[in-house]
Amino acid sequence: MTRPIVLMFVALLLITAGLGYYAYHLKAKVAAEEQRLAQQSQVVVPPASGPTTLVALYIASDQEGGLRRSSVNVALPQERSERARAILRALIGAYLQPGSQHPIGAGSDVRDIFLMGSNTAVVDTNAAFADAHPSGVLAEELTIASMVTTLNANDPQINQVKILVDGKERDTLAGHADLRRFYRANGIGQLLKDTP
Amino acid sequence: MQWPRPRAVPIAAAVLTIALLAGAACLLPHSIVQAQTPTASQLSIYSPQTFYTVPLLNLNGQPYVGLVDLLEPLGTVDAKPDGKKYKLKFALPGAREMEFQFQDGKDNGKIKGDKVKLPSNFAIQGGRGYVPLSSVSELLSRALATQIRLSPAARRLFIGNVGERLTLDLRKGTPSKLFVSFDSPVNPTIATEPGHIRFTFRREPVVATIEHENYADLLITGATFSEHDGIAELDVAGTSPLMANFADGGKTIVVSGAPPPPPQTAVMQTPLPQANVPQQTALPPKAPVGPRFLVLIDPAHGGTEIGSAITPTLPEKDVVLTLARKLQHELQGRGVSAGLLRNSDIAITLDQRAISANAARPAIYIALHAANSGKGVHVFTPLVDPANVSSRDFLPWDTAQAAYLELSGAVAGSVAAELESRKLPNATLAAPLRPMNNITAPAIAIEIASPSENVEDIGSAAYLDQVAQAIAAGLASMRGKVPEVRP
Repeated sequence: MTRPIVLMFVALLLITAGLGYYAYHLKAKVAAEEQRLAQQSQVVVPPASGPTTLVALYIASDQEGGLRRSSVNVALPQERSERARAILRALIGAYLQPGSQHPIGAGSDVRDIFLMGSNTAVVDTNAAFADAHPSGVLAEELTIASMVTTLNANDPQINQVKILVDGKERDTLAGHADLRRFYRANGIGQLLKDTP
Repeated sequence: MQWPRPRAVPIAAAVLTIALLAGAACLLPHSIVQAQTPTASQLSIYSPQTFYTVPLLNLNGQPYVGLVDLLEPLGTVDAKPDGKKYKLKFALPGAREMEFQFQDGKDNGKIKGDKVKLPSNFAIQGGRGYVPLSSVSELLSRALATQIRLSPAARRLFIGNVGERLTLDLRKGTPSKLFVSFDSPVNPTIATEPGHIRFTFRREPVVATIEHENYADLLITGATFSEHDGIAELDVAGTSPLMANFADGGKTIVVSGAPPPPPQTAVMQTPLPQANVPQQTALPPKAPVGPRFLVLIDPAHGGTEIGSAITPTLPEKDVVLTLARKLQHELQGRGVSAGLLRNSDIAITLDQRAISANAARPAIYIALHAANSGKGVHVFTPLVDPANVSSRDFLPWDTAQAAYLELSGAVAGSVAAELESRKLPNATLAAPLRPMNNITAPAIAIEIASPSENVEDIGSAAYLDQVAQAIAAGLASMRGKVPEVRP
């Protein structure tokens, strides 16, 4: 074996080692970033400026298996769909608080709300909302019911809601609740633990 | 510097390729690199009490079986993986508990304190313990103290003296008939193709001493028996189309030539009874089959779809399968026919569940779920939008349940009343839970949660027994109140 070939082998081995080290470093970096994102408890806060309005939130409780009404002050935009989005972000923020009676996945958020006609809201959630949502028939139904009831309580014209994940339709939220359908506000009365 | 000689170029290219492949492998997600190749095959297990299948996992190039999957249908199982160690307590009904001890990556272990050596290493995957398929025969014979016959190639395992012997008897005549006889009634799937009729036995432990028979006959020329992929098959070859009739209460199948198709004019004519002309019938009239009260139990999830993670080592799919088996046992004890939509750790899509359930024509369909949050038992009834309820004969898939909503509510009420009488916390709710809305029968879903603050208590045998008894009592009391269906 001639010297140039030996040099080439050495060079290739060094490249291999370098590539391996780079890949290992990259993988560790990605894993750390994923862990950081998963642990990040994104608590949604309303816009700092502007007057606040008292809005009704229907908060789910896993132990009670139902929804209870509570009120919070939220700064609401003028535009109707933006207002609905701010209200739902306040609801999700409540679920992301430590000690929540109905914890949902860290990083959950509402990306957008589209109003179709006067009575239908299409809620576009982010991937974390579905991917990290606790799996279970009741847990998933409670989340959806609380979103539908909260929207209806603050904008009575909205009486049916469709939920998308990352702009797309999904079969289920986390393996159980059917996300292919429209949820009607008048079909949720059984879950209400107190009257408005 | 000299250029490398031509001979060295391929070597350098090979080294460079290896380097690039190594880099690419490092970039792959860890889970993908470690992923095991799932095999579509399964092991069929026949015992005197039950029939079940367990999925086979391909590890290190050979088939492995989950210990819990293997033992759970036969008795009570309590498995506790602890790091690399794996302990499993197993008890046959009414017998003393025995312990299995293994360690991930080791081929030796203990059963009831006695040392046992596996043909290859024990493996823990996702908190579940797996043993090589070739060791199953010895492990089961030690655990059950009975004879075990395993056919690894055929993926079939027989416990004790279970087995349906198949015998063939060709009775020559004009035309000839082949009598296929069994020890007890059988119910194979029958398929025909030109010159062949094939019987597939999925649930019956059919065995035969022959593999192939040739017949010097003008109609039936041979029969071949084979076992593969957990099933047994009998293929009968003929020179013209063949047909099968059951006789002797299902213990005998008579294979004969199929009658020629009737002329077209005969089909168009309305048959009229003729007083003085004896009517000819090709087949004896079938015995009328009465309506039956069948409860179809659907343990949710399965396979790679684990459902809710009750604990890191206790997935929902396992809890509901255990509950389903207990519920089936309780229903059968009350004289109610009960079937399981899945009796092993396999994945079934929601649409497949609905199709299978509707094909089974049950009197009641019940889906079982388990959750790691909440408390007690929730009974869910289907929720179909009134706007989508169809009154037409052709049912829309998504609202096929519409006509049965009232009966589904009655079934839920009956189950809730039994849960209440046993002081089990419960609530009844309507939910658009798939596949309930696709079921053409009274349908409910049950979701159980832990009875206490300790979420692991959801898997306790006493709690599951109590829930199964309450549900079974509620379902059994609906006999006569929901329409029984002809199979």
